[in-house]
Amino acid sequence: MHFRIRDGVTLDMLPSKQFKTIGIKVDFVAPLSVDAITARALLAQVLETSTAAYPTQTALARQLSRMYGAVFGISVLKLGTKHVIRLTCSVVNEQYLDQFAEEQPLFEQAMDLLKAVIFEPLLPAGSFDAPTFTQQRQNLLAAIKSLDDDKQYLANRRVQELVFTEPAQAMSALGDTEKLGRLTATDILQTYHEMLANDAVHVAVVGDVDADRVQSSLATWPLTDRTVVDASPYYHWDARPSVTQGDDQADVVQAKLNLAYHLPIYRDDPDFLAAVVFNAAFGGTPLSLLFTNVREKASLAYYASSSYNPFTGIMGVQSGIQAQNQERVVAIIGEQLADLQAGKLSAELLHEVKASLLNARLAGLDSPQRRLTGLLNTQLTHMTEPLKSWQAKLDAITVADVQRVAQKVTLQATYCLHGGDQDAE
Amino acid sequence: MLNKQAYTRLGEAVYQTTLANGLKVILVPKPDFHKTFAVMTTDYGSMDNEFVPRGSTQSVRFPDGIAHFLEHKLFEKKDHDAFDLFGQYGASANAFTSFTQTSYLFATTSKLRENLDILLDFVQDPYFTPATVNKEKGIIGQEIQMYDDDPGWQSYFGMIGRLYPKEPLHIDIAGTVDSIDKITADDLYAAYKTFYHPGNMSLVVVGQLDPEETLSWITANQEQKTFAPNEPIQRVPSPQAEPAEIIPTTTRHLTVTRPKISIGIRGFDQVPTGRTGLKYSVAVSLAMDLLFNDTSDHYLRLYDANVIDDSFGYDFQVQRGAHFAQLAGDTDQPEQFVKELTAILNDAPAQLQAAQDQFELVKREAIGRIVGAINSVEAIANQYDGPLFDGATIFDELTTLEGLTFTDILPAAEAFLGQGRQTVYTILP
Repeated sequence: MHFRIRDGVTLDMLPSKQFKTIGIKVDFVAPLSVDAITARALLAQVLETSTAAYPTQTALARQLSRMYGAVFGISVLKLGTKHVIRLTCSVVNEQYLDQFAEEQPLFEQAMDLLKAVIFEPLLPAGSFDAPTFTQQRQNLLAAIKSLDDDKQYLANRRVQELVFTEPAQAMSALGDTEKLGRLTATDILQTYHEMLANDAVHVAVVGDVDADRVQSSLATWPLTDRTVVDASPYYHWDARPSVTQGDDQADVVQAKLNLAYHLPIYRDDPDFLAAVVFNAAFGGTPLSLLFTNVREKASLAYYASSSYNPFTGIMGVQSGIQAQNQERVVAIIGEQLADLQAGKLSAELLHEVKASLLNARLAGLDSPQRRLTGLLNTQLTHMTEPLKSWQAKLDAITVADVQRVAQKVTLQATYCLHGGDQDAE
Repeated sequence: MLNKQAYTRLGEAVYQTTLANGLKVILVPKPDFHKTFAVMTTDYGSMDNEFVPRGSTQSVRFPDGIAHFLEHKLFEKKDHDAFDLFGQYGASANAFTSFTQTSYLFATTSKLRENLDILLDFVQDPYFTPATVNKEKGIIGQEIQMYDDDPGWQSYFGMIGRLYPKEPLHIDIAGTVDSIDKITADDLYAAYKTFYHPGNMSLVVVGQLDPEETLSWITANQEQKTFAPNEPIQRVPSPQAEPAEIIPTTTRHLTVTRPKISIGIRGFDQVPTGRTGLKYSVAVSLAMDLLFNDTSDHYLRLYDANVIDDSFGYDFQVQRGAHFAQLAGDTDQPEQFVKELTAILNDAPAQLQAAQDQFELVKREAIGRIVGAINSVEAIANQYDGPLFDGATIFDELTTLEGLTFTDILPAAEAFLGQGRQTVYTILP
């Protein structure tokens, strides 16, 4: 069920008795820009800490406990040309509780809590609380720096930097430390007002709750009409004719090898589903060519996989290897792509990959979180693909379809984070 | 045949039985779900590295990492790989090894019977050769090195190793590049024959299923196979460190941006057996919540002083023969972090008394967390602890939690923390 609440504000209902909880998701969607990423990441962090009514994180945490361990959080994500501030709150359906004697059901309490976080933040003297602001800026700074402690993440970030000339695309969703250091409480207040006034807002609810209850809760939220510029969510970029190579030395035992490919097929492309199948066959599943050939046959790695982003037209490959095997591994990866480009894909693997994609889609229906987050794709692209027609399209995909996709794929960059001089052995 | 236990308020039921060959079967139907998740577990993990192989009289010390190596190799057969069999039906399969258990699992949205047959057949039909064993050494070597580069992993397992310096828990679950090099096909067969008897295993299936029908499929599969009579497993008891032998502090340097600290507490009290053990476990967990979760007064004080931040976390766990807690986080004030948190631990009885008014709050939170976890077929299946608490399920855990009072948690916390010993594992940039 889809409702337009106001201009630029939508509500999706996923009624289900399948779950013991009721889940709520609120997405604030804005255009992606370098300045916005950092400011909005900090805003999310500050909003998550406290509200006027719950002025410390302990007061807020105690309210969540009182609501039988309501799971509440704010996260930020980048999706193509969009930046999303996502609030989620999940509460138990009280019919499953042993003793529940409160007047207001937990769902309404959760909606009130989200309302407090979004519309009634801690703003003494009209500005974000100074100690909270300073501390959360420091925490975010530490969190951004700590991201690089994960060497697989670091290698992936570096290869993206080699590919994307647009800084907002190369940047982490948490933002940039240098920009963060310059942000003031006044900047964040402005970001906050812009978010409330201009962002597209997508609310979604999953669980055993009817639309009337949701709408009457939502009616108390002071959301205004907004003009949302419906720009394309897809980030288009030009492939380069040559492969950029990069490497860095770090204190690692295992080298982290990352490759990035241009795969200019977006969600609105007739070949989108074929691209999904291509990625699954190439490296997206444990049955894939990369897993089979890099790991199982050549014993060169524990993990070797690919991932495809249909909002940015990029496909990445990642593997952890011995540095001296880099050339061999890159060659094997190249052979797998060349095989798919030549139409060499067994009927068995094609069948297995389709079956696993169907399995994953059906299994996703059993996760309240995935049902909520999956809605954003539809909201950004205005495309829905009901299960039946999706399955029919999936069934119809042929080796030639996968081959056509594979032929559009070009290697753009290789990057290796390794422990020492690669020529040493 | 199937023993049904209903949890009416939750609208859930658990069906259990033990087959003639000893295999324990636990079935939890979730009629609204699309997915079925099955996990087959043997009570054999990295801790069990010295035992009397079935059919022998002499104990043997096996190379470190053998249980995990066996887990990898069980998928590969003479002319196929079990992964591919699951793959035909689109099911996703996996396996994992802990200190005390090895589990094989799949998730599917169709062809449950076929997938169950694949699971039972590949787990119950070992095929190890020198060639296939050697091939795996490169893959597992890379798995070990991947974890070598993971500071969070190093911190967690480093802490456990210092709590259990003489026990096999100080050894990486996967072993080392050198130890796995010594593993042979014969070693794998010896371990397999000892620990993979159905009498030492359980099969938990949760999700879209009909209990009677599912049981009939499992039974039909098992009746086609013959197993030797089960014999008791003879594990050689591992050496036990005395409380005084716990390594109190360790400092390591790795490429991290900020200091990373893990404080471990090893229990030296006796964990009660059966459901009393479950109650003990839930009580200690609640005590940890009272002392350290984000509703506590200490949390806010330490957070505001920048001693802890959002990376802070803690947990308590009971395994066969070991129970320990961890407090961990990143901090720019490593000394204060250790000083403040150990001060709370060492003054736990008084601190818990002082936090008594928060008890109902943390209990509510814990209840909500478990009820929420019942949404997940994986959580229900993985929460089954086998023989540890006499076959307790996530639903029994919830019932135990609901019945718990503040007076229950004090003695449990005092026994664990009072007799426990601590270690501090610090990773510095």
